[in-house]
Amino acid sequence: MAKKASKKDVAQLLKKWSQQFAVLAPSRESGVAAMAEWDGKDTSFLEWYRNTVVPPKASFLPPMEEMFRFHKDEEGYQIEPPSRNGQKQLVFGIRPCDARAMAILDMTFEDAYQDPYYLEKRKNAVLVGLGCTNPCQSCFCTSMGTSPTDPTDVDIMLIDIGDHFLIEEVTAKGKELLAKTGGLKEATKNDEAEAKKSRETAYNKVSRKLDTEGIKDKLLDSFDDEEFWSQTAAKCISCGICTLLCPTCYCFDINDEVVKGEGTRFRSWDSCGFPLYTKMPMENPRSEKWRRVRQKVCHKYEFYPMAFDVIACTGCGRCIRLCPVNWDITQVIESVPEKVKGAK
Amino acid sequence: MEQKLRQEAKALLEQKRVDWIIGFTPGSLKFTTTPLITRDKADTERLVINPFITNNLANFLTEIKGRVGIVAKGCESRSIVSLIQDNKVAREDLVILAVPCPGIIDLAKIERLVGKDRDELDDVSRDGDKVSVKVDGKKKDFAAADVLFDHCLACELPTPQEYDIILGEPRPPAPDLKVSGQNIAELKALTPAERWASWENELSRCIRCYACRNVCPACFCQRCFVEETEPQWTLPMPQWQDNLIFQIIRNIHVAGRCTDCGECERVCPVNIPLRSLTREMYDTVDELFKFKSGMDKDALPLMAHYEQEEAEDFFK
Ligand code: SF4
Ligand code: SF4
Ligand code: SF4
Ligand code: SF4
Repeated sequence: MAKKASKKDVAQLLKKWSQQFAVLAPSRESGVAAMAEWDGKDTSFLEWYRNTVVPPKASFLPPMEEMFRFHKDEEGYQIEPPSRNGQKQLVFGIRPCDARAMAILDMTFEDAYQDPYYLEKRKNAVLVGLGCTNPCQSCFCTSMGTSPTDPTDVDIMLIDIGDHFLIEEVTAKGKELLAKTGGLKEATKNDEAEAKKSRETAYNKVSRKLDTEGIKDKLLDSFDDEEFWSQTAAKCISCGICTLLCPTCYCFDINDEVVKGEGTRFRSWDSCGFPLYTKMPMENPRSEKWRRVRQKVCHKYEFYPMAFDVIACTGCGRCIRLCPVNWDITQVIESVPEKVKGAK
Repeated sequence: MEQKLRQEAKALLEQKRVDWIIGFTPGSLKFTTTPLITRDKADTERLVINPFITNNLANFLTEIKGRVGIVAKGCESRSIVSLIQDNKVAREDLVILAVPCPGIIDLAKIERLVGKDRDELDDVSRDGDKVSVKVDGKKKDFAAADVLFDHCLACELPTPQEYDIILGEPRPPAPDLKVSGQNIAELKALTPAERWASWENELSRCIRCYACRNVCPACFCQRCFVEETEPQWTLPMPQWQDNLIFQIIRNIHVAGRCTDCGECERVCPVNIPLRSLTREMYDTVDELFKFKSGMDKDALPLMAHYEQEEAEDFFK
């Protein structure tokens, strides 16, 4: 049975959770929204129109992360594991598109191989979702198998029902936490009905639609269509915005910072949009821009479906609205040519 | 203006005077445009000129092969001239379609003034010195000067000097350095320690997307110093000290080429006030060397030019 809480009481709730978790919530610095340690009072983000600029993946795969330290002594190089604070994260106010993105990242970081840095944070975390009431013009989640109020990928889901939130316990983890939290009212039949209405309203507000039917095969067929990809890539400036800030992109680079035999190995976000990404001593298989743009599109809409049977795009719309040249992934996917029968 | 542009662009392609047209077409979001790079004369019907033509199209010239007809606002024309000075493009390969520019609307300023997201605005339109914003069914009027980009307020060349075809009446320059320079003045009023702290704070947000560099027509190096590993000038990780070095060196590299088009600051996804660096460099170049970038295609580039009186004692 769902519970409910008054919007005014959210700060109370977060305070309670802060005793047990490092509570992260949307916060703005110089107008840039990201998940940050909750300051103990501000809940203005509950009224925000837009999702964060920096996706919540940054709390699990930070822009830059220490892997280990090393130093050299008589016996050779010695390695020290990074200092871990071991604190459990509770991410409050994650939107359904970004929660789905976490599930998509799990496929790479947990199913395909086990990434200890990611999993350590991910396994201990609680995701509390916040349903959207006002999807943006760049959102197309409903075309990507999720929706503005989809609870599938969070532990606890909040649905806006006026001056209250309906609180759904989605996973066992979420249920357990809510039971321990106490002080929450039971939702009534009426609240449930309100939540249903709220869900429908939000769903119907998502106006951007994308038809992904058969996209995997279409991309496979048009892989060598240089004309199409060159045209598609023409205005792209090969920056890293659409990849680094995509909630499902996970590529990283590894670098050492070494001073006098002592050093630290870091990993940091990298992007397939950069020419350097595939640079090898003798050649670069993706030195041309169209090949890099193709890689980005195909990784999401062709290779991920092949490997995990899911498109690695959740329709969050970040890449559309943050792109310096308004390169729009939905327009690109829609323009992928149908293979002409008999053509090579 | 738009009609004339479409006709001219179409004619250029038809008469094979150019291989490509670079201009603006409506974007996929409200109040946006997107670069149109085309060889197809049918596409010229989609060309637009409106208060949202933000990009600096000169950026595409260094990668496009062939003759190009390019739509140019004042700042773009200066970037084009600067590229000609640097031998990156040849004047004879270009047909410059000049747009006398009244300034571009900065949606972030409107968002702050009306307290709403750009998605929530029903309409934004410009009429002379007035910009009208329709939101929640009500119309609000603002002075254009309150909602244009800072660099537009400081613009010294709204109408290109170097062009082949002009679309509309030339506009005289009317730079307002006070409002457009406010951010820099505020920074200068800080103590060095405060200023350092302020940049530490701003640059900590940098994610090294390199949009600021890649969108910049003056950043045309085949291989950027940030990508060098021998020597490694700066680490590719987004820690603020390295981010600072990246911006400082980038600034030195675009000195005398930066035309204050404002693109680097506009595209930064994490709102780092990059123009406070680039404009300061622009003014410093002007003050020390009496040099304004992109004003004269026949002048030598700043770094290729030397006058006795500008020498440090060291050189004399
Ligand atoms: S954000 Fe836009 S310009 Fe940058 S790489 Fe992506 S598509 Fe290209
Ligand atoms: S590809 Fe774009 S819309 Fe899809 S998840 Fe990534 S940033 Fe969001
Ligand atoms: S440094 Fe910035 S303002 Fe200067 S030319 Fe480049 S993009 Fe434009
Ligand atoms: S655009 Fe902004 S975030 Fe991206 S590299 Fe430049 S300063 Fe950093």
